[in-house]
Amino acid sequence: MELAFAGWSGVLILLMYGAIMLGVGVATYWKNRNVHESLDEYYLGGRGLGVMVLFFTFFATQYSGNTVVGYPPTAYRMGYEYLVSVPYFILIIMVYLMFAPRLYLMGKKYKLLTPVDWIDKRFKSKPVSILAAFLMLYALGNYLLEQFVAIGQGVSGLTGGTIPYQVGVVFFITIMLIYGWLGGMRSVAYTDTMQGIALLFGVFMLLIGSIIYFGGLPTAADYMQAYAPEKLGVPDGPGTVNWFSLLVLVGIGAAVYPHAVQRIFSAKSEKTLKRSFTQMAWMPFLTAGVVFVVGIIGIAAFPGLDTAESEQLVGMMASAVANQNALFYWAMVLLFGGVIAAIVSTADSVLLTFSSIVSNDLYGRYINPEASQNKKILVGKLVGVAAVVLLVIIAWFPPATLYQIFVLKFELLIQVAPALVFGLYWNRLHPKAVFTGMLVGTVFASYMTFANITPLGIFSGLWGLLINLLICVIGSLFMSVSAAEEEEADQVIGM
Amino acid sequence: MSKPKKEPIKNGKLWIVFGILFVLINPWYFPTGSYQPLFLGIPYWALIIIGASLLLSAFLTYVLKYQWNLEEDEEEKEKKEAK
Repeated sequence: MELAFAGWSGVLILLMYGAIMLGVGVATYWKNRNVHESLDEYYLGGRGLGVMVLFFTFFATQYSGNTVVGYPPTAYRMGYEYLVSVPYFILIIMVYLMFAPRLYLMGKKYKLLTPVDWIDKRFKSKPVSILAAFLMLYALGNYLLEQFVAIGQGVSGLTGGTIPYQVGVVFFITIMLIYGWLGGMRSVAYTDTMQGIALLFGVFMLLIGSIIYFGGLPTAADYMQAYAPEKLGVPDGPGTVNWFSLLVLVGIGAAVYPHAVQRIFSAKSEKTLKRSFTQMAWMPFLTAGVVFVVGIIGIAAFPGLDTAESEQLVGMMASAVANQNALFYWAMVLLFGGVIAAIVSTADSVLLTFSSIVSNDLYGRYINPEASQNKKILVGKLVGVAAVVLLVIIAWFPPATLYQIFVLKFELLIQVAPALVFGLYWNRLHPKAVFTGMLVGTVFASYMTFANITPLGIFSGLWGLLINLLICVIGSLFMSVSAAEEEEADQVIGM
Repeated sequence: MSKPKKEPIKNGKLWIVFGILFVLINPWYFPTGSYQPLFLGIPYWALIIIGASLLLSAFLTYVLKYQWNLEEDEEEKEKKEAK
């Protein structure tokens, strides 16, 4: 993302964002001094998030800076086929309806802290819990890495290289660690709110600027009709399959994001949760839809970019818009500050959940169950910092394009879905079948991803999930659970 | 009086509607490569997909509001008593 225009004004905005985030962290800490004495307080904000904060923290979890910088280039390359990015964000809410109502109830009833907590409660199986915890940690680590790379690129792009990639990564990660460390979930959720508002404002200004200065959709359509009609047309067979796969993969994958599931537990009440979901059901039009239109306008505004060049599309468009007048100049500087803030806000949610799984599900459950809550939180934080340091070392030399990293994490994460969701409803689901399904699905999906095999054009993660599900169901039918176990499961799920 | 308990997953009819909407948000039912007529530069099929997506959001809003009620009554009651 190259931005020729910003330079020192970018530095100013970034310092301002940094200062606000730190301020939120310190203020939250002052207001809730006991936050480090209880896992519930630290990781779930005391289960008291209201509608607006809950909505914005869901928003920041699902829409990161990548939505703004990464999606328009994809729309630029694929044309209208990438319109799929709008319904797939809506589908996430549909998938929530399959399990969130009951999971919220379970969370309240059993004081659940993490998704693994639920899996452990339901199956009481060490192998299942540990495998699920590792799959989630892998996906979360991967997700964090993606955010770190994006922070570095964003910062150096916004400041025209005044702040180098590496300095940007270290600066924002340090701020994120400090406010996360101080206030836990509350800090994360409050900063999410600020970051979400900045992002929404900037995205709309970019859209308005693009329409004014590049002519909007009709101009783009004229260009495509003349030079690239395939970008306007209905996708062909493989394109349609890809569309379908993305809908299912992202719909399920993003709904079972461990950091999203944790937000279900953080809700103040069922009513709050329902209202936040309702708002989320409409957000795709205002976010994914808007950035999609920006990408399409880019087709005519900057024709003929190759893949690598097109990755810089948003920077180019913002530079052009910013050059028009002072209002747009500052709006674009704010947009990019907002993008970086949004990336940080996704990263902080992920890091908090990462730490909570380490604190609660690995350290607290298997390594040192006798430890005080304070100590569990400390271990989670320290392992979190260690993971961040490791990921920063990797982010120093960023791998592949963001999109490839994005798809890979879903492949493994969705293998947790059968245990998480099926377990809520079926009392005969057998722990051994769940474990085997999860393991085989994971191995299969990883192998297919690395060998680049996608039969029928369907993503390897979905094939893995299909095998995983078959093993879960058929295995459970064959290895019948004892009457006592069935009754126990009934009692756990029983409502 | 408290409303009956409702859980969306248990209501098969809802999922039939979701199934139909899911089918409609996939572009399999248009002729490959076609894009005419264009409305304000947007191909007809994209508008239909957007329309189906809006319907999906609207239906989700309805289900969230009226078809999910497990804890709300108790929670509201507790809230009132706490006051």
